[in-house]
Amino acid sequence: MTLISVSDLTKTFGNQTVVDHISFSIESNTSTALIGPNGAGKTTTLSMLTGLLSQTSGSIKMDGVKDMRSVIGFLPQYPKFFSWLSALEYTEMAAKLSGVEAKQARLQSQKILEYVGLGSALHKKTETFSGGMKQRLGIAQALVHKPKLLLLDEPVSALDPVGRREIMNLLKEIQNETTILYSTHILNDAEEMTDQLLFLRGGKLVEKGSLNEVRARFEEPRIKIKFSSQEQALQFASQAELHCNVEGETVFVEIDHDQPTMQQLLNRLANSNFSIESIEKVTANLEEIFMKVVGSHESV
Amino acid sequence: MSQFNVLMGKELRESWRSFKILWIPLVFILLGVSDPILNYYLMDILKAVGEMPEGFQMVMPELSPADILAASTGQFQSIGLIVLIATFVGTISRERQNGTATLLYVRPISHMALFLSKWLVACLVAVISVIAGYAASLYYTVLLYGPVQWDQFIGMLATYLLWICLIMAVTVAMSAAFKTVIAATLTIIMVIGGTIFESLIGSFLSISPWKLPSSALSLLSDYYDRTNFILNLSLSTGLLIFFIVLGIFMCQRNASTTEI
Repeated sequence: MTLISVSDLTKTFGNQTVVDHISFSIESNTSTALIGPNGAGKTTTLSMLTGLLSQTSGSIKMDGVKDMRSVIGFLPQYPKFFSWLSALEYTEMAAKLSGVEAKQARLQSQKILEYVGLGSALHKKTETFSGGMKQRLGIAQALVHKPKLLLLDEPVSALDPVGRREIMNLLKEIQNETTILYSTHILNDAEEMTDQLLFLRGGKLVEKGSLNEVRARFEEPRIKIKFSSQEQALQFASQAELHCNVEGETVFVEIDHDQPTMQQLLNRLANSNFSIESIEKVTANLEEIFMKVVGSHESV
Repeated sequence: MSQFNVLMGKELRESWRSFKILWIPLVFILLGVSDPILNYYLMDILKAVGEMPEGFQMVMPELSPADILAASTGQFQSIGLIVLIATFVGTISRERQNGTATLLYVRPISHMALFLSKWLVACLVAVISVIAGYAASLYYTVLLYGPVQWDQFIGMLATYLLWICLIMAVTVAMSAAFKTVIAATLTIIMVIGGTIFESLIGSFLSISPWKLPSSALSLLSDYYDRTNFILNLSLSTGLLIFFIVLGIFMCQRNASTTEI
């Protein structure tokens, strides 16, 4: 079921187009990663979805919902809290402002704070919180009113490796119960938790699809052969009559239309007397795909 | 309504936990106490400190209780107003600049509830401060200079409280409309600058928004000019409503300027 559909969303500031006619839709209970380099328009897109910014043109539609703000939970990249409120007071206030009834607001706040691991800091003032705790509180306040769509802006970018792991695990748990759209420029995170990828570059949506779809489109599978010396590598490359790239002792053989197959290559190598240390098929990871997606539009 | 209550609760908590609701009334109490005491003991102070020349004859004006309350009002009008304006001029703009407003604005909140909660809490602090200040001043005035008529004093106080609520409406509306620094400058120019302007050429004008404090004082004694009192009162009430509407509108319009 489609939860939200965005069509031709555009935002211009003066004569600068920050988000340029992007269209996508998000299915219920999936997670979508918005990927792009800094300045690609990720935060602006999220701001329009939250209603903080109004779009220049285009539409954001959610079936049967009038005021989208009541069904959205938002975590900004650097969430700022009122330093003089405790975690519980803050979350409770957030719930009430989103229309949760007073008694229920307190119950839900306690529950969600326990859930994100702030059970022991309920009554601590938010000014004493570390970066990781603030991020947890940010997630708690975004979830406390049980939103249909959770929007997260760079949820783990500002955290150290331990904090990042903890928050990623938490998000993976949440993923089972709600719909998530999050932006990131850290591709390992996206690889770990995503049903749909949206690549933004210069405000344009340059690529979208599931991880496997995108991978299939951009993957250039290669066979990596490591020889014992550079001479042998060069010698192989000159004889092979294949698309080869030599890097030191290693030769990358490009596979074009499934040719050559691993079997063919092995047969050839078996009949010659090269001394080979290793041979393997390599596929592109998300980072290489990212560089390709971003790079392939560089000239535009 | 429940949303307004939640925002109100937040503002009250803030003014309580930042001690605003305690230290600002204290400033007003000090300001209120200073004039009756200083004027009363001025002779003794001068005698104790200064070496008066031989045969120096000092003539002190005979001060009435109304004069003392007018002097206290003068204190509130300068230092008091600056303290109040400086405290509340960032109430909306600062939250937007430091990003704490973002997490409120993404929720389905009404900007009217937001503005009114800010303004009402500013008024509450200002009203408590002014009442405390006048109470302190009145206590020493009555003690040292003689009685003040209650009905006249209440009338004066009520009129001055309308003035202070108008100032808070201007301050909070400017905070909604501009960044803190610009809001502060504009509010100071409008309020303090206007008061100075009024004291210079006010006598040529029959009504002006800055006449309200002197209108308030005119209720204290029959010597003061009490014409145009109702006109000034109406003008101020009109301006009060105007600034509240402006503030709500600006809250809505500038919501997107919050730091994300």
